[in-house]
Amino acid sequence: MPRRSRRPRTTLLLLVLVAVTIITLDARGSFHVITSGVKSVAADAFAPVRSGVNDIVEPIGSFLAGSVHYGAVRQQNQKLQAEIGQLKQQIASQADVDQAMQQLTALLNLPFLSNLQTVPAEVTDYDTSDFAATVDISVGRADGVQLNMPVVGAGGLVGMVVQANHDTATVRLITDGQSSVGVRYGPAPGSLAVLTGEGSGKPLSADLVPNNTPLTKGEQFTTSGLQGALFPPGIPVASVVTARTGATATQESVVLEPLADLAHLRYVSVVLWGPAA
Amino acid sequence: MTPRDLARVVLVVFAFVVVQQTLMLDLRVGGVHPDIMILLPIVAGVVGGPGRGATMGFGAGLVADLFLPTPFGLSALVGSLIGFAVGGAALALDRSAWWLPPVAALGGSALYEMAYALLGSVLGQPQMLHVDLLRIVVLVSVVNAVLALPALRLVSWALPEASTEGMPTSAVASGVLR
Repeated sequence: MPRRSRRPRTTLLLLVLVAVTIITLDARGSFHVITSGVKSVAADAFAPVRSGVNDIVEPIGSFLAGSVHYGAVRQQNQKLQAEIGQLKQQIASQADVDQAMQQLTALLNLPFLSNLQTVPAEVTDYDTSDFAATVDISVGRADGVQLNMPVVGAGGLVGMVVQANHDTATVRLITDGQSSVGVRYGPAPGSLAVLTGEGSGKPLSADLVPNNTPLTKGEQFTTSGLQGALFPPGIPVASVVTARTGATATQESVVLEPLADLAHLRYVSVVLWGPAA
Repeated sequence: MTPRDLARVVLVVFAFVVVQQTLMLDLRVGGVHPDIMILLPIVAGVVGGPGRGATMGFGAGLVADLFLPTPFGLSALVGSLIGFAVGGAALALDRSAWWLPPVAALGGSALYEMAYALLGSVLGQPQMLHVDLLRIVVLVSVVNAVLALPALRLVSWALPEASTEGMPTSAVASGVLR
């Protein structure tokens, strides 16, 4: 029986131990500040590289796409297609502009923010990991954005800042499985519940809603704003889609959809607010 | 490893990060995007054996973690395990076979994504099992299988000396590795 070298196994053991230690320490508060800082530095350093590469890649892609067709007949065909494409693009871009205008106008008139200060931001990227529901936005620490600040869009709550870089930030959406939001529902002063995310594109579920609670479709849940809460009170979060009472369950099974259109986010506002403020 | 080799490895990892953070993030099918960072430990395992596969998995994973919202260190942990496993499995096969890198990329990527979701869930992120794992596994594995051969060339350039780590000592002595 051939004898194998033990060195790779020792290497693996050491690497696994180091990785598990990093994960464990990162889950704790003090070390997380360090890893968050390192991530922030990496994101800031990489931002110009990313922007530069995108600037190079996009024209090359357009050139390659345009040089596929050749020949007189094809040229004519291409010309006609280009005209049709331009017309379609005009219609599409008009719709695009309309959508952007709608979102911006809605952001300027968010009644639930009252006198809270906000910073408008453009959404630059969706879901950088297949395992988390996040968006990247175009504002960061330089604009006053800090960790755990609430982010709202047209309609209601979008999420919370989980990574604040110098000029950009990452927002964990309320649909992410790690997200939980304290909410109120029903007649004032309202009963308390917690909304939890189930993953990108999926509806939210409610915890702590007692059995036989009368809930109607479309009823809105708003942030509770309890002492030490992560969100200010009164921000609309989600509306009821279905509410079912199980025969043996102690809680009502409530499914809700976010009020903000998380699938088509273009512009959002970061609320310059913290639990201690 | 000489400073020159190290510089090559850093350059290759940097190139992978750039492609992942620019082209791959924009390339979405059904809301899922490819993850070519996984290719690094897999092809390093094929080229250099389990030790180098694990080391590349750790280093590349740690770099990938800088740009991910998931727990810091998780990609490094899973990358080490997959690099080691692929490297170990490749030792039993003909490393020069053309089909080995695509097959290793296909199987290794699928294993990686499943292990990533499972370990993430065990380490306090239960939502990582609530994603459309099948879609992620299929897309990431197929894209990585397609890109395995170019990735192998790059990593072979960065790791020019084939490793004897993990090889049966009799095989090393007989020189069958090269």
